[in-house]
Amino acid sequence: MSRREPRVAKRKRNLLRANGVREVDWKDTALLRQFISDRGKIRARRVTGLSPQEQKQVATAIKNAREMALLPYPAARRGA
Amino acid sequence: MSRHYEVMVILDPSLDERTVAPTLDNFLNVIRNSGGSVEKVDVWGRRRLAYEIKKNAEGIYAVLDLQSDPDAVKELDRQLSLQETVLRTKVVRRTVPRGTKAAQKIAAKA
Repeated sequence: MSRREPRVAKRKRNLLRANGVREVDWKDTALLRQFISDRGKIRARRVTGLSPQEQKQVATAIKNAREMALLPYPAARRGA
Repeated sequence: MSRHYEVMVILDPSLDERTVAPTLDNFLNVIRNSGGSVEKVDVWGRRRLAYEIKKNAEGIYAVLDLQSDPDAVKELDRQLSLQETVLRTKVVRRTVPRGTKAAQKIAAKA
């Protein structure tokens, strides 16, 4: 029987919002780019470590920015 | 009921950037005539689009900050989108920083 290693407490996730951002602006592409993958997908909450409210704000902002061609839509193919 | 609005416009990149502000100003008369006010016209200039719009890889971005009635903004948006040189528009209610709304309510009561 394999003994389970006791789970190490996860290190505190880097809350990007701590960098002085209180309200997410959909025009701030430099900030929003940190929350999308190379493919253009929105990063999951378990990755970003944001609260539900913050994640919602970020997601909405990214979607708004996409509509105005500030950010890409998720690419269907690799490398696109 | 007058509200804050933020209007983003993407214009055809073949336009001269210097003519953008005066042209937009022309459209903003709709807002002024209806009793609204234009707080800021910010022309970002030419910028690469994340994807092509009407075969254009670039666009001239401009952001307008308005204080206006909903109907006037709707009309402005309609007129802009009729324009061939306007690739895309977006109207967003400007977000009120957290807490200010409650603060205003308290101030109104006092």
